[in-house]
Amino acid sequence: MRIIFRMLAVCLCVFLLAGVASAKDDKLKAGFIYVGPVGDYGWSHAHDMGRKFAESKLPWLETVFIESVGEADSARIIDRFIQEQKCDVVFTTSFGYMDDTVKAGIKYPDKHFMHCSGFKQSENVGTYFADLYQMYYLNGLMAGAMTKSDKIGYVAAFPIPELVRHIDAFALGIKAVNPDAKVHVRWIYAWYGPDKAKEAAESLIASGCDTLAFTEDTPAVIEVGQDHSEKGKQIYTFSHYSPMQPYGVDSVVSGQLVDWGVMYVKILQSLHDGTWTKDDLWWLAAEDAAILGGSFDNIVNPKFAAELKAAKVKTAEFGEISAYDLVVKRYEQMKKDTDVFEPFEGPIYDNTGDLKIKKGERASKGDLLSIMYYVDNIVGSIPK
Amino acid sequence: MKIRIIDREKITPGDQVLALVFSVLAGLFVIGLIFLAFGVNPFFAIGKIFAGSFGSIYGFKETVTKAIPLILIGVGLAIAFRAKFWNIGAEGQLLMGAIFGTWVGLNWGPHLPAPVIIPLMFLAGFIGGAIWGLIPAFFKIKFAINEVISTLMMNYICAEILIFLIVGPWKGKTKFGFPYTDDLPASAILALIPGSRIHYFTLGLALLTVLVLWMVIYKTRFGYEVREIGENPEAARYAGIDFFKTTLIIMAISGGVAGFAGIGEVAGLHHYLSYPDSISSGYGFTAIIVAWLAKLNPFFVIIAGIFFAGILVGGDAIQISLGLPAATVEIFNGTLLVFLIMGDYFLKHKIRIDFHVRPRTIKHET
Repeated sequence: MRIIFRMLAVCLCVFLLAGVASAKDDKLKAGFIYVGPVGDYGWSHAHDMGRKFAESKLPWLETVFIESVGEADSARIIDRFIQEQKCDVVFTTSFGYMDDTVKAGIKYPDKHFMHCSGFKQSENVGTYFADLYQMYYLNGLMAGAMTKSDKIGYVAAFPIPELVRHIDAFALGIKAVNPDAKVHVRWIYAWYGPDKAKEAAESLIASGCDTLAFTEDTPAVIEVGQDHSEKGKQIYTFSHYSPMQPYGVDSVVSGQLVDWGVMYVKILQSLHDGTWTKDDLWWLAAEDAAILGGSFDNIVNPKFAAELKAAKVKTAEFGEISAYDLVVKRYEQMKKDTDVFEPFEGPIYDNTGDLKIKKGERASKGDLLSIMYYVDNIVGSIPK
Repeated sequence: MKIRIIDREKITPGDQVLALVFSVLAGLFVIGLIFLAFGVNPFFAIGKIFAGSFGSIYGFKETVTKAIPLILIGVGLAIAFRAKFWNIGAEGQLLMGAIFGTWVGLNWGPHLPAPVIIPLMFLAGFIGGAIWGLIPAFFKIKFAINEVISTLMMNYICAEILIFLIVGPWKGKTKFGFPYTDDLPASAILALIPGSRIHYFTLGLALLTVLVLWMVIYKTRFGYEVREIGENPEAARYAGIDFFKTTLIIMAISGGVAGFAGIGEVAGLHHYLSYPDSISSGYGFTAIIVAWLAKLNPFFVIIAGIFFAGILVGGDAIQISLGLPAATVEIFNGTLLVFLIMGDYFLKHKIRIDFHVRPRTIKHET
């Protein structure tokens, strides 16, 4: 009996000491769940760069991460992060984790959860997203100016509003400089599928496209473009998510880059300070989350800058101007605020002829988040 | 030096255990070398895997959750492999079971109480898996089409059918354009053991299936026929065993129990159909290793299923705490399978190396 008492006393001491220790340090532990491998050089890679950036900026922060987590497995991983790793906050970085993230919020009311790209919030579950549709519009301006065949291809992951919004923004950019060009879309049903993306890119080129943009987490499409360009058939490509220009120095014109780092620092800082709210964070160019370019050095690959400067377009706002200058001006406007210039400003028709946004009106955030129609210079229909 | 390969005439249970232990150890040794290449102490890493899956209550609950489909599919594969029917199509049979069962749950679930709808869903799941298993069985017996190829290919067909359904006609109205079906109604969702993700109905069903199939294989005339077809097909033919009928029954069972696993995963964990790799995470393939490790014995499938579920769950732990890539677990499983199959070869064959073969040329010198 005495032994048991002694053991209890020791345990109590250890607990008290641990309590004092944890009260003293104000560390925060964050877990990150990625849907693809961190080496994908796309989505998961970009999030992991953001995680590393936050860890380097915030001395009180400790992070753990796990890659290639299937949607079906996210609940298990959240449990492990909270129960075993003692995380204070878990970032779930794929849309498919949404329901499990919300359920985890109920299960662990004293922890925080941040779900990327979703729309369900609760007391301790917030959402955040850095959207690139403005960058797609700018890429579209360049694609429309560069294409010779007036056939532009898009390799797309899944037919969901996020992708449709990006394809539409890209098409609207093209239309602004080149009303004759059409956009052709191939769906590959994978976020990470370099083999499928390659196949889709080849099929688009075979059907006459000379310019390609995409949503897939690897530089596969760029490699196809580079390959053809080296063999003498110039294919223009737009890098996606990470600085992929090194994979296609003769093919990448520009692209969209994302900086999750600034966002993660802000979210973690607010959690640390106790100022966190569950409001949706939707960051664009104005917040420096969405960045134009195929590399962080230039907004346009120097190889193609001259060509873009030579291409003239007529605009109502700036008169006749080079495509390059138009991109620069629009980018500046977007960086100021969303109010200055909005790609989704009416009149916008879908490709069956229905008027979707009236003249002079702009799409609301809600419209953009649920958009499910092709604008009028996209060929085909969204798989239903 | 001369190497000769001879068939082993007598294999004792002791030999079998020795071969199993030796191949697992040899596999772990090679896996250890891979960990070393990553600069990680192999004992620490392998210890971490098992600590992550069996060393805590959290880990063990998850291990049991993952073991449910592995046991179900593994025991179905064990009976097919016993008859030397190489069913590589459990992944597709699982998905077909999920498709059939979900259809019943979505369409009839709103009108029926749980005690009625859940057995109906599992029955539908069994039928779905069985149909997908019967097709290659039929082709094998009637047209001698190699079942390794046909069952493997049927996986891809089923995956495409599932994608077609969730992108097309079955796409949920409540899923914001995402290619998922709607959630199953409340009556069609399996209860979990509180504080875990163990859907105990499927777990109970898995254990019952093991018991039934063990009795079928060892205690019935049909089981004798199955074993005879596998071990001595010539004698089986001579004894008048109906190959057509027996093979069809075997594959209906093998596919059907994989179908149980499929609807169990949907009704227990996911609650709606989504992409093939989210529904199954490769259970149909991992279960092949489970069946081999269990030496095709239904009761050992339970142990092997829990063992491999532990490796899958423990894989998260080494990823999180050691920063190893996600592919490590696949390498782990693949390496172990290679060594198990090699062990089987050495169990059945003896290798004799003669070091002292006299060179014939010596005679000329003398």
